[in-house]
Amino acid sequence: MSNQLRQHAEQQFADELKALAKADTKTRPPNWKLSPWAVATYLLGGKLDDGTEITAKYIGDRRLIEIAIATLATDRALLLLGVPGTAKTWVAEHLCAAISGDSTELVQGTAGTSEESLRYGWNYAELLAKGPSAKALVPSPMMRAMKEGKLARVEELTRIPADVQDTLITILSEKTLPIPELGEEVQAVKGFNVIATANNRDRGVNELSSALRRRFNTVVLPLPESLDEEVQIVQQRVEQLGRALELPAEPPALEEIRRVVTVFRELRSGATADGKTKLKSPSATLSTAEAIGVMNQGLSLAAHFGDGTLRAADVASGLVGAVIKDPVQDRVVWQEYLETVVKERDGWKDFYRACKKAD
Amino acid sequence: MSEAPIHIFGVRHHGPGSARSLRQALEALKPDCILVEGPPDAEGVLPLAAHADIKPPVALLIYHPEKPRRAAYYPFAVFSPEWQAIQFGLKENVPVRFMDLPQSVQMGIAAEAEDKAAAEEPEEEDAETAYESTAAPEPELHISHDPLSHLARAAGYSDSERWWEHLVEHRRDGRDVFAAVLEAMTALREAAIRSSLQQLEPEREALREAHMRQTIRAAQKEGFNRIAVVCGAWHAPALATMPAAKDDAALLKGLPKSKVAATWIPWTYSRLAFASGYGAGIASPGWYDFLWSMSGRRNGHVATHWLTKVARLLRGEDLDASSASIIEAVRLSESLASLRGRPLPGLPELNEATTTVLCFGDELPMRLIAQKLIVSERLGEVPDDIPMVPLAQDLAREQKRLRFPPEATQKQVDLDLRKPNDLDRSRLLHRLNLLAIPWGKQAKQRGAQKGTFHELWSVQWQPEFAVALIEAGVWGSNIPSAASAKVCHDADAAQDLPSLTALVDATLLADLPEAAEHLMTRLQAVAAVASDVGHLMLALPPLANILRYGNVRQTDAEMVAGVVSGLVARVCIGLPGACGSLNGEAAEEMFGRILATHGAIGLLQNAEHTALWNNVLRQLAELPNLHGLIAGRACRLLHETQQLNTAEAARRFGLALSTANPPMQSAAWVDGFLRDSGLLLLHDENLWRVLDDWVSGLATEHFTTALPLLRRTFSTFQSAERRQMATRVAGGAKRGPAVLASEDFDVARADKALPLLAELLGLKIEVKS
Repeated sequence: MSNQLRQHAEQQFADELKALAKADTKTRPPNWKLSPWAVATYLLGGKLDDGTEITAKYIGDRRLIEIAIATLATDRALLLLGVPGTAKTWVAEHLCAAISGDSTELVQGTAGTSEESLRYGWNYAELLAKGPSAKALVPSPMMRAMKEGKLARVEELTRIPADVQDTLITILSEKTLPIPELGEEVQAVKGFNVIATANNRDRGVNELSSALRRRFNTVVLPLPESLDEEVQIVQQRVEQLGRALELPAEPPALEEIRRVVTVFRELRSGATADGKTKLKSPSATLSTAEAIGVMNQGLSLAAHFGDGTLRAADVASGLVGAVIKDPVQDRVVWQEYLETVVKERDGWKDFYRACKKAD
Repeated sequence: MSEAPIHIFGVRHHGPGSARSLRQALEALKPDCILVEGPPDAEGVLPLAAHADIKPPVALLIYHPEKPRRAAYYPFAVFSPEWQAIQFGLKENVPVRFMDLPQSVQMGIAAEAEDKAAAEEPEEEDAETAYESTAAPEPELHISHDPLSHLARAAGYSDSERWWEHLVEHRRDGRDVFAAVLEAMTALREAAIRSSLQQLEPEREALREAHMRQTIRAAQKEGFNRIAVVCGAWHAPALATMPAAKDDAALLKGLPKSKVAATWIPWTYSRLAFASGYGAGIASPGWYDFLWSMSGRRNGHVATHWLTKVARLLRGEDLDASSASIIEAVRLSESLASLRGRPLPGLPELNEATTTVLCFGDELPMRLIAQKLIVSERLGEVPDDIPMVPLAQDLAREQKRLRFPPEATQKQVDLDLRKPNDLDRSRLLHRLNLLAIPWGKQAKQRGAQKGTFHELWSVQWQPEFAVALIEAGVWGSNIPSAASAKVCHDADAAQDLPSLTALVDATLLADLPEAAEHLMTRLQAVAAVASDVGHLMLALPPLANILRYGNVRQTDAEMVAGVVSGLVARVCIGLPGACGSLNGEAAEEMFGRILATHGAIGLLQNAEHTALWNNVLRQLAELPNLHGLIAGRACRLLHETQQLNTAEAARRFGLALSTANPPMQSAAWVDGFLRDSGLLLLHDENLWRVLDDWVSGLATEHFTTALPLLRRTFSTFQSAERRQMATRVAGGAKRGPAVLASEDFDVARADKALPLLAELLGLKIEVKS
């Protein structure tokens, strides 16, 4: 076994990729390691004719994955949108691993991402000593992917400053990258494409210009579909984290997790679970990851300041903090929710009181 | 077999591919008789289908002339194979006959079953509930309860619609399709997979098929040689193999019959869709219409034309949709189709391409596309000389029953709602108004003297109402059910609270409990997401009125109470936020709403609501930086409901008028506090003193700026009140009612002075003897 803390997707699932390549008889787009059908199978899981079990990498709507793959096959760039914690990066990584066999051509978008990381930089020692030359050029992941006909990934596209974002326009529409210093250009080899991920809930991001947006096909990844699915994800994760942090508290009762997840889902979707009452949604994201955070905080409160058993009061303060991000509007939403939904619900009396107190 | 051979065409109702194939097959066959699965009762109006003014979607309406609520609809779109068969027959002068079990028999059976049920359970059904309980026999249920799903599942498709569309509807050269369909259906039926409809009503299905066979035999006897039979695919095998004629005859013998009449009415695509709750619907009539209109073009053009239509629609709504995006969407839909192993992009692929490329992953514009294009809002037309629709008959009957004949001259009617006849008249007028037939216009009440049980109407019948009645025929076959359906539809379309509230008012007056229930649900849903507290506040008073006067109207107040509680809670939570940073104009509006809400809460007489409301008023009164008008009124209302005693109110008055506040703010506060209430000022010594001290202590320039606002407040007082105030002010600092000083008044001495005074003033005075 390897020593690395985390392996790349193509290393971790090398066996599955190999088996798929063997079983795959359908036509492959130029420079693709697998056919679109095999890529879909790799992501969504299934059983091959030779008995190899392919694990599902993405659990959710098959349609979305098909659209994503079809987009990449049309040489249009793919933009994966979604709130944090909806497996955007995960899907992008696995798409690259399956299509190009390489998920490492990655540009991480930050407020400080410069044009060099999307185009090319210079080895300044070389540049000063000998002047501009191909040898002095330091290619970006984007440039490497263009040369080799692979997929490049851009994470958190909307965090990149707008002027740097627009560098992508030439790359996506002309499929070339000019190098004026050398009077040359890099023309993309067939198979090159870009997968970008972006967060559609964050405030203060750099919205894509419509020129750039037009060059992407947009696929929105949704949050988990059913309550049970989400409760399961939260429970697993909370238990793992609790072990890692060595919290002495009892693992939380399923009931408490279910309540928190229910609150999150109801506020997020703007309707009660039974679909009978509509609600306002707060400005907070309320992703599954945040529900995990709330449970963890409650657990540590119970362990260090309570009697070791997780109670409504331990969860309440974290919950209120997660929901109320905007002190004016969200408070109204939260109070309405408490008064019209939580108050009436059977068996939620303690929860209601705890939330009123925490507010 | 001695009889002439028959040609069976098993179709899918409302399938454009089936329609196209059928048209081709008929043109090749040149039949001398066409039998269509449809109600024989309607053969009288069948020739009207060739009328120049008839435009599908239309429906054949078969109804009981005395009880029009017992009705069956047979909708036809331009892409329905049955419609195409009828059109072909009428154009080529080939006799067209309907062969389904007559509705007269189906209704007869239903009526008999009903009578039996009623006899077993002698329960009095009043007229209001009856129309809900008798569901009209829907003739074509077997599309939604789909036997084809077995085949589709076997072929690995998730639903039969797509499977059929892929295999049959997308074909362009489909003459041998019918043989294949017949074979598949025979296999299905032999495998004894019973369609769910058969499980539901096996007898009815057997009767229908027996009648179809009998019609075919009759046609054969008449000596037709090439008989084309157009029926639902499921029935095809039952007609292909004929059992002995006498079995069918025995089956059909002695069935009860009822009287029926038939006519054409306009239909809409949205009523053809599943979404409208119509059993035998199709999910995407607009898309099928489009496919039909694309007949004769190359297959590859379908995606291009459709996506261009979509883009143009989006542009019309100010959403970006460039030609370059259309090109990309077409490419994506094609690569999706090939990924899924389909020869051509179908509606799912096109929709997905639209979402991904044209809508940037946003689902919202898709709803618009679904409504306008995929379902489409097309309304059919029927010629003017069509037989009278049941809705018009129902109205005529009502008018006769209520002794309320339509007259072309304008007339004023005063309805006393305590009398049953007048109450019914009022309901009728309200219902017609909801159906956009403004026979009566309600006049504003002059004053409240007459009480809530009087309604003034001016009624006048216009000739164009006849047309409006035909148009309203799509909503139902009698006035209450049509009005209910229309209200439900309007409620679903309404997006904001004020329009919903207006509907609620009208609906409750029209006494449509079913629609009211739907409305309340909608109202609840819209109120929950309404961010405008002003709208919420406006919605409250009419609902409070309904709750208060619910008994007069005999409407159930229970469900309103639920909505009202929600509204009160939401208003109370949102109001403080909504009152922040208002300018004069907005504050003026809010002032009116607060007054109205206060009135409504008073009407409701619910301790919990009152407590909540008082709490909010207290919050408002204490909120810093609130517009003076509202803060003042909040304080005043609290004082009025004895939440604040006079001393406390006086303290607040003084606080609000302290010199630290900007004079405009103080003046607005006074305005809010005192508007329309000169009497309070006159009779409350504490308040009077506070105001007086404030005015006397003002610096000259402050007084000048405040004067206009003060004047506005004071000008609202009645002149008598103003005069009394002026008297008191003129009395100066030594205040105290002047009346008290006159107690030791010597009448005899005063009388002595009177003659001299009269002399001086030139008056004549009669001295009492």
